[in-house]
Amino acid sequence: MSVELAAQGRTARRRRVGAARVAALVGATAFACWLPFQLGLGDVGLYDRMGLYALVAIGLTLLMGFAGQVSLGQGGFFLIGAYTSGLLTMGFDAEERLIDPQAGIDPLLAVAIAPFVTAAIAVVIGIPLMRLRGHYLAFATLAFALIAWSLLYAQDGYTGGQYGVTVSKRLVVAGHEITGATHAAVVWGLVGLALLISTNLVSSRVGRALQAIAANEPAAAASGINVALYKLQLFVFAAAMAGLAGALFTFFAQFLGPEDFGIIVSLLFVVMVSIGGLGSVYGAVVGAVTIVYVEHKLRDLGTHETLLGWDLPSTAPSILSLGVFGLLLIVIMLFFPHGLLPGITGAVRGAWARIARESN
Amino acid sequence: MTTFFQFVVVGISTGSVFAIVGMSLVLVYRATGIVNFAQGVFAVLAGLLTYSFVQHMPLALAAVLATLVTALVATLVAVVAVGFRGRTTHLASLIITVGIAIFAEAVLLAAFGEVPRSYPAISDRAWDVGGVLIQPQYAVLALVALAAAFLLTLFLRRTIVGQALVAAADSPRAAELIGLNLRSIAVIAFAVAGALTAVGGVLLAPTVPVSYSSGLTITINGFAAAVFGGLVSIRLALLGGFALGVLQQLVVGYVDSQYSLIIALLVMLVLIGWRSRGELAV
Amino acid sequence: MTLLALEDVVVRYGQAVAVDGVSLAVGSGERVALIGPNGAGKTSVLNAACGVIRPAAGRVEIDGRVLTHATPAAVVRRGISQVPEGRHVFATLPVEANLLLGAYGRVFRLEIVSSTLRYLRSKRDVREQLERVYELLPNLRELRERPAGRTSGGEQQMVAIGRALMARPRLLAIDELSLGLAPVLVQALAEFLVRLNEEEGVAILLVDQSAALAFSLCERAYVLETGRVVLDGASRDLEGRSEVRSAYLGRGPDDPA
Repeated sequence: MSVELAAQGRTARRRRVGAARVAALVGATAFACWLPFQLGLGDVGLYDRMGLYALVAIGLTLLMGFAGQVSLGQGGFFLIGAYTSGLLTMGFDAEERLIDPQAGIDPLLAVAIAPFVTAAIAVVIGIPLMRLRGHYLAFATLAFALIAWSLLYAQDGYTGGQYGVTVSKRLVVAGHEITGATHAAVVWGLVGLALLISTNLVSSRVGRALQAIAANEPAAAASGINVALYKLQLFVFAAAMAGLAGALFTFFAQFLGPEDFGIIVSLLFVVMVSIGGLGSVYGAVVGAVTIVYVEHKLRDLGTHETLLGWDLPSTAPSILSLGVFGLLLIVIMLFFPHGLLPGITGAVRGAWARIARESN
Repeated sequence: MTTFFQFVVVGISTGSVFAIVGMSLVLVYRATGIVNFAQGVFAVLAGLLTYSFVQHMPLALAAVLATLVTALVATLVAVVAVGFRGRTTHLASLIITVGIAIFAEAVLLAAFGEVPRSYPAISDRAWDVGGVLIQPQYAVLALVALAAAFLLTLFLRRTIVGQALVAAADSPRAAELIGLNLRSIAVIAFAVAGALTAVGGVLLAPTVPVSYSSGLTITINGFAAAVFGGLVSIRLALLGGFALGVLQQLVVGYVDSQYSLIIALLVMLVLIGWRSRGELAV
Repeated sequence: MTLLALEDVVVRYGQAVAVDGVSLAVGSGERVALIGPNGAGKTSVLNAACGVIRPAAGRVEIDGRVLTHATPAAVVRRGISQVPEGRHVFATLPVEANLLLGAYGRVFRLEIVSSTLRYLRSKRDVREQLERVYELLPNLRELRERPAGRTSGGEQQMVAIGRALMARPRLLAIDELSLGLAPVLVQALAEFLVRLNEEEGVAILLVDQSAALAFSLCERAYVLETGRVVLDGASRDLEGRSEVRSAYLGRGPDDPA
């Protein structure tokens, strides 16, 4: 068979596989959007949070997997998205919010604006940040998230400090209130969209450039790829995703307080990405679902009076979650540095191959 | 004017801790190429242990015991952080130390509770120098920082063990070939750095009570001091620590106490930007 | 007497096989070369011999003892020192410190007490060896206080060789002697190595890309290609053989398989 025919055959096959994958993704997303309406009240909240964190994780896994940039500060963008939409909706001044609950703009507009604000900030800080490597980048992103969080307390005239912002307005689209199960459905619909965009990105020309960068940065730069620009774009994309998730979070919790945006949140996103595998967007979703579930279970466990015969202090939930997540991070980085899921599937595949070899 | 000098004096004392932690970070980085995100934990652990031990023994003994235990814990951290030869990159080690820092918070919270702990300082009577009150504790902290800088520099330049540490950083490959065991070198570096940071923590707690969550701020401040020295200069880390402490205290005193952490973070960002100027993104 | 013997050594990096069943031997007082093109696996063979890498299969015998899975420190203690490719001097340390570490490196283990005792006991011997090395390489004496990173390429090569000699090896393994050095320098170093071998009895294992250098310096040679020894024997017999050329240049589409 001639080379051209073979190539054409490959392209046609790739397009068919691509169409099949898109169909599967659309189907799965439809299911994910239908699911919240079948869940009990407590579970819907959990499910919603899983979706919100999945949005952040998808952006982060692309950034860490393809640009090789470890960001310990996605929580900062999450915070910016949330408070932007919250303050736009309820008014900027803490005292005025108490006086006039109708101040501020339409929630839908706020949710639309917030990701752009986040992206703009990401462009500004991303330009110097993307020059950094390894530990400097890790600390710089951490510093960013910490500064954002500290400003919540320092600028409490706007942010309400520890008292937070009560979001009394609801998100309304075309007459429908987006709360509860509907909110969760919207979130997971967006997750599906993000997956679609990401997987298309990965297989496009941009994706190939990204893979070249991930494989060998100096070589990619030498072959004319503008590495810095791609890294910045990924950084901004990840920030926008986190900002969008934050904006939606505002109308999920209907309340914004510093506790939801501490440093541990940023670190949790890294754990989620580590579980799913750096660069794998589906893995990121798995990671987000896993972590939210584990966190929920640990909190449950921590609120018992006793555990295995020991009296549990009131701080038990924190102890358990910090302990488990710290341990997870250590174990994953030691034994599965490319991600827990790829590590496990790799081991399983290796075991299969060994069995196949021995039986021959 | 005395207010200004008062701030400077307090700033030098907190700055001493930053300097001590910064120099510890430099030592570990120079020997292993790893930035130990959990360095601040050693200060907190030593302080909390001293608090516990002092209930049963004199302060001096409690402090020594706490330092030794912390150094031992540091060797454990070293083994875990270094990971597997060839498989664990420096960046992975950094993230491992992040995990260790988080895990340590859980352990400290479980063992010591939420309440910040303290114990009596060396002396309650402050010296009055022209209206400026100087606690003896501050003086001891500053002296320890200076002594540490001197001893560490001597250690790395003149002793064979110190030179072995430097060699391991200069070329891990060649160090292995002449028979140096890289894991042992990491353990030594972490242990010495851990002991040093522990001393800093023991001296800090009487002035600023420590709790399970104090580790993060201490690490960040220490890292800022270390970055001032490009992560490789002991003396610049010392200077950076003092400068950062004074700057923070001035901001807290004259502007707003809410901003002390933000100041440290901004300074750190500026220093990071300055220090990585020459590096390309490849 | 065989100082170093490799038997069917296999080295793998993940799935990739870098060394595919290599056997070679170096006797005491010999000068032997291991040559081959870039990527043939020469450095991997050396690293397997010196304990830097664990072979996936095969045996490494040093001075009669099986040391296949030994640590680099044990290999140095048994009398084999390696001068790595690219020299890898300890750049921020002065030249003399580089040399001293070459002697003390294998002394230190985590047991503080025994290490300290060993260190103190060996101090005099080490000082003597330092003098010997300065006699052999007089340039180093002048450079003793200079940070090793601030010396020229040729001087760094001498530092690296001196450092390896401080461990009093019976076999000196050198990886890519000619890398990045002017031919005049390489020639001078080669002559030094011959003198070292003939006067001090130190066996030499030269791993190099340059077949010409290897044949002029060493009496015997092994030719490595994609992880296998394709040819070995006396240098004068191998010189000019077409197999040596094709090992470097690879086989064309029209050559017989």
